[in-house]
Amino acid sequence: MIIEALIKIAVVLLVVLTAVSYTVLLERWVCAWVQDRIGPNRVGPLGLFQPLADTLKLLLKEDIQPLMAQAWFHWLAPVISITVAFTVLAVVPFGHTLAIGEHIIPLTIASNINIGVLFLVAMTSVGVYGITLAGWSSGSKYSLLGGLRSSAQMISYELTLGLGLLSVIMLSGTLDLNGIIDSQVNGLWNIVRAPIGFLLFLVSSFAETNRQPFDLPEAEPELVGGYHTEYSSMKFALFFLSEYANIITASAVMTVLFLGGWHVPFVDTLGLSPLVMTIVGVVAFTLKVVGFLFMFIWVRWSIPRFRYDQLMNLGWKVLLPLGIANIILTALEKMYLMH
Amino acid sequence: MPTTSKYNKPATRRKLSLWEKLYLFEIVRGLLTTFKHLFRPKFTRQYPEERWDPPASFRGRPVLVLEENGVERCVACGLCSRVCPPLAIEVRASETELLKERYPVVFEINMLRCIFCGFCEEVFPEEAIVMSKDYELAFTDPSQGIYGKDRLLTPKAQLKDRLDFLAKMRN
Amino acid sequence: MPKITIDGKEYEAQAGQTIIQVATDNGIELPHFCWHPALTVAGNCRMCLVEVDKIPKLQIACATVITDGMNVKVNSPAATKGREDVMEFLLINHPLDCPICDEAGQCKLQDYAFDHSRGVSRFVEEKTHKDKRVAFGPNVLFDGERCISCSRCIRFSQEVAEQPVLTFVNRGDHVTINAVPAESFDNNMSMNVIDICPVGALTSRDFRFKARVWDMSFSDSICPGCSRGCNVRVGVRNNEIMRLEPRNNPNVNEYWMCDYGRLSTYHAVNDERLAGPRMKDANSLQQPTDNDSAARRVAQELSKYKKEEVLILGSARMPIEDNFLMLKLAKEKFGKQHIPFIPHISGQDERKLLRADKLPNAMGATLMGLVADGHYQHVHGEKAANATVLELLRSRKIKAVFALAGNSLADAQLLEAFENVEFFATCSSNDNVTSRRADVVFSIAQWAERDGVFVNFEGWAQQLRPAVSTKYYMRGRDQMHMSRLDRFGSPYDKWARSNKRDAREAWRFVQLVAKELGSMSDHAQHWKYQHTEEVFDEIAATNPEFRGMSYEALGDMGMPVASNKNAIVQPKYEEVSQTSTMRVESVGSVIL
Repeated sequence: MIIEALIKIAVVLLVVLTAVSYTVLLERWVCAWVQDRIGPNRVGPLGLFQPLADTLKLLLKEDIQPLMAQAWFHWLAPVISITVAFTVLAVVPFGHTLAIGEHIIPLTIASNINIGVLFLVAMTSVGVYGITLAGWSSGSKYSLLGGLRSSAQMISYELTLGLGLLSVIMLSGTLDLNGIIDSQVNGLWNIVRAPIGFLLFLVSSFAETNRQPFDLPEAEPELVGGYHTEYSSMKFALFFLSEYANIITASAVMTVLFLGGWHVPFVDTLGLSPLVMTIVGVVAFTLKVVGFLFMFIWVRWSIPRFRYDQLMNLGWKVLLPLGIANIILTALEKMYLMH
Repeated sequence: MPTTSKYNKPATRRKLSLWEKLYLFEIVRGLLTTFKHLFRPKFTRQYPEERWDPPASFRGRPVLVLEENGVERCVACGLCSRVCPPLAIEVRASETELLKERYPVVFEINMLRCIFCGFCEEVFPEEAIVMSKDYELAFTDPSQGIYGKDRLLTPKAQLKDRLDFLAKMRN
Repeated sequence: MPKITIDGKEYEAQAGQTIIQVATDNGIELPHFCWHPALTVAGNCRMCLVEVDKIPKLQIACATVITDGMNVKVNSPAATKGREDVMEFLLINHPLDCPICDEAGQCKLQDYAFDHSRGVSRFVEEKTHKDKRVAFGPNVLFDGERCISCSRCIRFSQEVAEQPVLTFVNRGDHVTINAVPAESFDNNMSMNVIDICPVGALTSRDFRFKARVWDMSFSDSICPGCSRGCNVRVGVRNNEIMRLEPRNNPNVNEYWMCDYGRLSTYHAVNDERLAGPRMKDANSLQQPTDNDSAARRVAQELSKYKKEEVLILGSARMPIEDNFLMLKLAKEKFGKQHIPFIPHISGQDERKLLRADKLPNAMGATLMGLVADGHYQHVHGEKAANATVLELLRSRKIKAVFALAGNSLADAQLLEAFENVEFFATCSSNDNVTSRRADVVFSIAQWAERDGVFVNFEGWAQQLRPAVSTKYYMRGRDQMHMSRLDRFGSPYDKWARSNKRDAREAWRFVQLVAKELGSMSDHAQHWKYQHTEEVFDEIAATNPEFRGMSYEALGDMGMPVASNKNAIVQPKYEEVSQTSTMRVESVGSVIL
């Protein structure tokens, strides 16, 4: 069991880290294309080695610690951020099950957690500590403001996130992520069953990952770099990594919750062997995640940043009532349409 | 109570329709706009491979004109140095047996200072110093930014475009 | 006293004066090329045309003697038009090659072309071509095309230089100036014609094309070439002296200076300078050191010897402040009554400017209490012996020497005699025989890098002012004139950084040595001078010859010392002085 888990951890870490680097590359490409440019194409064929070059550059940079910084917390903050970002991945099912001979391996690191959704919500809430701590410990006004904005934003949008999530839980009747997928495999995808819930969750995910149009904690024109203004070298890279890891996580979670995870409709009817089915599942999951990633990037280069009051208005006056209404709607749906 | 005057009257806003107020659909419209750009032809010039040939009116690095007989046109009058707003040019003159009497012993342009204003070219009636098309100015050391006579002198043939342009503009 | 009216204002005048003199005395500038206050009136440039009541035609102000009640109009339409026409005529054959002309920036023709001309020429024909680069003499070159035939140089050669070899040749628009065949304009005042030439026709072979006028900063100072102490203006570019030009001081040099002073004195400031203090190590090789350890070494070495074995040498090349403190040191620490300086007499006194005594401050040093070598009484034991420095050294009575400055060992005999000296410390600005022989040498500022006072042979105390900046004299801070480059450049510019020498006034090193010596006795409190001016103030307070003087009072023109009561301080005009010989003679002395 342990060896199996370790192997899974290693594989997932490797894949996700690579994915993070290439998400950055994708971001730069999409950014360029939207602006009618070409984008990075110098390092390696088509610029595919650009992430390597970036990593090398960041590793070679000088690690600067500001004079007024709280040394220990300044060091701790990126560690918290990156840890949380990767821990969430423990409960995400990447595929159905892999059968090697008699042995059946579920394609989730912690497959036996039956409250995956709770774990997910809990861990993402911890993520804000990394950012807040970074803002406070840097000893810089810009960082502090970034940190403050971050905590306010997280608290506001976590409510909506939870409400969006609640509709899924109500429909599936379980907190187990595999269970949620199963309920979609057997019925309809949740995006169809709870479209408003999906919308709420999607918007809140943007806010929770500090992505445009909700990237106020690191709004460059106002706050230089926000909470990571005073970070350099690998410590900065950790924030960078965790930010993109969070995007991947959010994409994966949305895939699981609303797009049926690894499920591909009508594939069961083809009568493929279980191994092929698993591979198809993993590929389908990956494609869905990439689709969400593209969405994240696409939105970033299309929509301008909110003003702070607009952000709060949207969170409390629009999304929250909508979320509560959605619960009632979902309940009615559950009562009258299903069964 | 703030008074309303010509200068601080509140901005007038267009009334938004319900459709626009919903915002969501407007976002989709915006997303579609950017999506279309993904497939547009790109403007990027692949610089070291594709180079730009500037038009004759381009103001690049100032250079000294070298006549066909191998003598620079410059008579070291120092007017370019006098007119240069960032004090980038240093001229030191000496006497020569030629008809023009004086020539520059030292003629240095500090390209770290040059602002490409073209005053040096404009001030001189004989077009001894002109703006070339050279825009590739990168140094690995500040001392390389100081261009002496050896790097400034450029044969007249290479500057034909600019000299013709100046002759045209003068008339 | 006759009174005349110029442009509606009444002025008092003296009988016999010309209109231009009255105007200039009262601060009205009439444009003129050929008129020069120190030269006879030629009246051939016609630039100073004015309208005089009851005279039908315009009159030239330089040759029209005033009468009582004369009414002169300078700015009347007729006079203005007359001057404009004269300018147009003068510019007909002028090549307008200002960009390559040395005079550009200080050219009368250029200035008047702005102020008194229409700005356009109706002359479309080809200009005349004349000889260019004609050598009048070893130092003066002539450009015939630029010449406007004002005849100032001709009159100068006849009246001031008294070597009448320049003359007009040819007629009409072919007129040009040349030296008489087989003669060369080679007197020692020849280069003054370059200064008085109102255009760029006469150029200096030494300065030709070295710098543009607007690139230089000009500071007023005193020429150190001889005991005349001509007032000069020092032209500096990139912290290097480009040229000297005379400054009018009617009491000393009028408008002139000699070619010797102009050509020979500035090289010592520009070239072959010491990089800093140097000291001989155990192997008798000079090594760079710092001022404090050099001073400590000097103090240690000097206190090793008996007082009569030490010789303190002053220098008449140095301003009085340095000599004053050197004598103070000799009196306080070594019990001397006076100290010698080595005079430098060469050649003959020239009729007008150059003196045989080539030391600029021999009089000042004497007034400070120094004595010229030969009159020096060296106290040895009980008896005082009258001996020259050379004899003293040869007799091996002197073991240690501390000299103020100057290349005192340029004399071969003296150099040889110095082999007898065990310890030799000196101040020097240049790398020369003396500085190489010295055991300790302090790097001192040259005359153009410091404040100080020279007293010329007639007893005129005149002030040196810094023109070249050192590490300690900054242009911005020390009120030195700043050219455009200095004002707008940054501290990282070549012209702001280069050649800033580690050189200070010699008295600072005397003071350092005195302090080091004082730490052994109890005299340290006297030696607290911060600036040269403080030393001078003490001189003015203690020496009756300098009573009432200060740097401010000395100003540009200097003051006579008390024993020189005959001298009169006269007001200064640019180019004009009431006392200069004004000879209104017939215009016919000049062929035109």
